[in-house]
Amino acid sequence: MFRFSRRLALKGALVCALAISVVPSATAAEPVLRVSAIPDEAPTELQRKFAPLGKYLEKELAMKVSFVPVSDYAAVVEALASDKLDLAWLGGFTFVQASIRTRGAATPLVQRAEDARFTSKFITADDNIKTLADTRGKVFAFGSPSSTSGHLMPRYFLIQGGINADKDFKNVAFSGAHDATVAFVAAGKADAGVLNASVWEKLVDQNKVDPKVRVIATTPPYFDYNWTVRGGLDPELVRKIAAAFLKLDPANPEHAEILALQRASRFIPTSKENYQGIEQAAKAAGLLK
Amino acid sequence: MIRLRDVSLTHADGFVALRGLTLAAQPGEQIAIVGPSGAGKTSLLRLLGAAMRPTTGQLDVLDADPWSLSTADLRRLRARIGVAHQAPPLPARQRVVTAVLAGRLGRWPWWKSVASLAYPLDIAGAAAALAQLDLGERIFDRCDRLSGGQLQRVGVARVLYQQAQLLLADEPVSALDPALAQQTVRVLTADAAARGATLVASLHAVDLALACFPRVVGIRDGRIAFDRPAAKVDRALLRRLYASEGGQLPGLAEVPPAASAQRLLRPAVGGEAARADSCWR
Amino acid sequence: MKAPRDPAALARVGGLLLATVVLWPLAVIGEFRPWVLFEAQNLRVMGGFLGGFLPPASGGEFLAYLGQATIETLAMASAGIALAFVVAVPLAVATTQALSISRLGPGPGRRRGELLRAGLRILLVVLRGIPELVWALLFVRVLGLGPAAGVLALGLTYGGMLAKVYAEILESGDQRPARALLEAGGSRLQALCYGLLPGVAQELTSYTVYRWECAVRASVVMGFVGAGGLGQLMDQSMKMLNGGEAASILLTFLALVLAADALSAFFRRQLGEAGTAGHAAALGPLPLAILASLGGAVLASFAWLDLGLGALLSRAAAASIADFFASFWPLDLSAGWLWKVGQGALETLAISVLGTLLATVCALLLALPASGRHGALLEQATRFVLNALRSVPELVWATLMALAAGLGPFAGILALALHTSGVLGRLFAEALQNAPATPRDALLEAGTPAGVAFLYGSLPTVTPQLLAYALYRWEMNIRMAAILGFVGAGGLGQLLYVELSLFHQAQASTVIAAMLLLSVAVDAASASLRRRLG
Ligand SMILES: Nc1ncnc2c1ncn2[C@@H]1O[C@H](COP(=O)(O)OP(=O)(O)OP(=O)(O)O)[C@@H](O)[C@H]1O
Ligand SMILES: [Mg+2]
Repeated sequence: MFRFSRRLALKGALVCALAISVVPSATAAEPVLRVSAIPDEAPTELQRKFAPLGKYLEKELAMKVSFVPVSDYAAVVEALASDKLDLAWLGGFTFVQASIRTRGAATPLVQRAEDARFTSKFITADDNIKTLADTRGKVFAFGSPSSTSGHLMPRYFLIQGGINADKDFKNVAFSGAHDATVAFVAAGKADAGVLNASVWEKLVDQNKVDPKVRVIATTPPYFDYNWTVRGGLDPELVRKIAAAFLKLDPANPEHAEILALQRASRFIPTSKENYQGIEQAAKAAGLLK
Repeated sequence: MIRLRDVSLTHADGFVALRGLTLAAQPGEQIAIVGPSGAGKTSLLRLLGAAMRPTTGQLDVLDADPWSLSTADLRRLRARIGVAHQAPPLPARQRVVTAVLAGRLGRWPWWKSVASLAYPLDIAGAAAALAQLDLGERIFDRCDRLSGGQLQRVGVARVLYQQAQLLLADEPVSALDPALAQQTVRVLTADAAARGATLVASLHAVDLALACFPRVVGIRDGRIAFDRPAAKVDRALLRRLYASEGGQLPGLAEVPPAASAQRLLRPAVGGEAARADSCWR
Repeated sequence: MKAPRDPAALARVGGLLLATVVLWPLAVIGEFRPWVLFEAQNLRVMGGFLGGFLPPASGGEFLAYLGQATIETLAMASAGIALAFVVAVPLAVATTQALSISRLGPGPGRRRGELLRAGLRILLVVLRGIPELVWALLFVRVLGLGPAAGVLALGLTYGGMLAKVYAEILESGDQRPARALLEAGGSRLQALCYGLLPGVAQELTSYTVYRWECAVRASVVMGFVGAGGLGQLMDQSMKMLNGGEAASILLTFLALVLAADALSAFFRRQLGEAGTAGHAAALGPLPLAILASLGGAVLASFAWLDLGLGALLSRAAAASIADFFASFWPLDLSAGWLWKVGQGALETLAISVLGTLLATVCALLLALPASGRHGALLEQATRFVLNALRSVPELVWATLMALAAGLGPFAGILALALHTSGVLGRLFAEALQNAPATPRDALLEAGTPAGVAFLYGSLPTVTPQLLAYALYRWEMNIRMAAILGFVGAGGLGQLLYVELSLFHQAQASTVIAAMLLLSVAVDAASASLRRRLG
């Protein structure tokens, strides 16, 4: 059973986590799988995306699944590290951060087939900006500072292209989320910006992008999002979670809906090694010390 | 010049301060107004200064009815009237020079008024006015560093500097010792005479009024008790005017003699005091 | 006769030069360029966004969120103040000179007492010097998102403020009864309850209620760092540039802040009347009823928020919190990072100085009509404008100004200026109303134009008071300027936000230390300037 509401979004992780330990109630004794996701899109959108997946997991795992919406990337990492969450949808960079924070305890289980070759799109609504080089001296919008596809990897590839985000832009803005970046650029609040290709394509498909906004460059591919479990979770449960994801089959219409919402063709196993590239990029870009 | 016909003034609370006053003054005339406390002297001067509107009757000041003028014209009229107050309304932190220069704000263009706040634009003019009142050295002092009497003289200096066509003075020397009071009134009368301006002053000290002004108007209970040349004012008339205040007439003699003697002994003002004697009948 | 030269001229020119030398670089650092407001690009962005204001969002689902967020905001403020009270009382009792046993005379505990008090004073400075939003940001990390972080943040900062002011109020009262009790061997608590409280209870209560009003305003913005309430809704709407929702939320702010204002003014008036009626010692029935209802509100708030702060006391939670805060040590003091933080600090300083200056000028212009000199209609209208300016928190103004002026410190300057104009305008209007009218009236009666009469007749009298208000406000604004960067308005805030997001705790703690230093320095500068006004 799910309870989705902004009420929860407002009250956040703590209430849920503490409901178990503090408020004596009938539900307290039942095991609950606490799931969250980095807020790379508007919170309402995250909830919409998760609903059918949550139901599916509840059925497969035969336990309650509760979704805890949050609005801050780093808070998800902290929550995983302090065992307030069991399973979380993380970006590549947030996974690296979580792995460091938990001294390697956090384990990536699965990722979308698409996440193995992920890209970011540089966008603008300014007619005078034709190439990445033209963004020098302009206001540039990243997503969240902790975002892989909205900050880290674009920053890394910018450096390789000779643009230092700290020095070469007039101002750097952090919109907080990929769809917000598009709004920033469309409104002219930022001259150019970058967001992940998956969200960009979704917004284009849904006709939610202002026609002025266009893509000027695309990054080379890199590993991104995955589903990660906290350390210390029952190995049997971990195995069942991974199996549930891998079992999702696009040929099955019920599964197809879930996969479509996750913008995944299917899920594939993943491992820590896949994210070493990201870790190196983060070090090179100065985001990881 | 000035013409009041059957003028009366009722205050907001219904108190009738002036009843049916009729009075006229020619250009260049100098008039002293005397009367017991609460008689209506200040009220009368406020009418003449176009600061208050008569409840009934006809009032002309500087040949105009202030209350039929447009706002701009009323402002221009007021700029030609100078008022010295009993308690000079000067901001405590203002400097003397600024307070004196403020006399001409009604005539200065606004940019000049503003600029003068940054740097006083007519220090010479202010200094000249202050020098007549023995305050030359205090020109750059702050008003709150002055004594009550000095402050009163700054108020007079402001009116002098204003060069108004109608000078109104409401007990302008009440905080001064006799010698200085005489000197100050004399400066006012001389200034008015030199420029042909009309001077109306209410005075607390009857002897000073009689000594320095050719025409004296007695007011009691909001009515004119008498209006005659100073020479024709006798003790009996004055006794009747101040009837309720007991036997003694208010005058400079009330000030302890020691104080005035001291003042007379000071060399700086000795000469002034001697000259002041000449207007003492 | 040769006219003397104005002896003050040299000092004035010197002052002007000094001001230019100080303000010019600040204006450059703060990117103070008013004309960008009129650039086509910014006009289009702002116009497009404001166009979306009408009609305000009024969908049933959205209104339900809005209602919930409003209650949550109120509850957060009330719970936060209650917590602050709990923090403040022991600190105030411990630090106030009025209850110092060691001050009675040389005794064995004298040095220890002095040391303890000095230590606690420093703690108070730290609590107050770090903006509540920074505390909130930190607590969001440890406690997870939600109002608990906001409540704790309010509790700490306001605890520090309350403790300081409580201690001052205790010292300002008649100290002889307490002294006598202490000398007679009474305990601090006895001296407090029987010697000091009777005299100052009313003032203490009144100040606490006033702080609650401030807390409502503060908790409105807590959501910008994920601590729930109206701010979180606003943050989401602003990020998605949803004008209709933003308009509804702004209207709610306005209503909420004005209501809190009115309620607090009403309570304090009641308390004041009770005080003058001779009930100072024992509060009368009505104030007691008010206090009881406040207590009820606090309990209800805790119940509604369902904070479960108790869990903080568990060993594991305490360990993880300790762990988290320990990771901030040691500070990153490398030259490169210090340089960057220094730049951010200068930018923050520029935002606070220019914002406060701009606000002082605007407030003066608004205070003239608001003090009722241009008729009752204009008075009411400007008062409404002032209230509206004041009820929108700086951080919200900053999100709006980032649209109007582009991202960067200038948006921060404008945001501070707008909010502070509202606050100062009201204070200025009161000062003008209380100033003696005779000097100005005398000038008017001498035909002086109204504006000039104000400059010569009123301004000299009220200037010291107005400047003192402006300086007080500067002390608040330096703390605000430090966090405006959370929404892209420059200064230390953006550095802090980014470093915390990246788990660069050492770098973040350097930024926090810079904020603390900056606010302590500005406090000192402002205090010394205010002394020179006297
Ligand atoms: N604003 C006012 N409202 C009501 N009554 C007033 C007002 N101003 C003056 N009065 C009354 O009008 C009467 C005349 O006052 P006015 O000030 O003209 O007296 P005065 O002759 O100047 O007295 P003094 O010598 O004491 O200065 C007094 O009884 C006074 O109480
Ligand atoms: Mg009088």
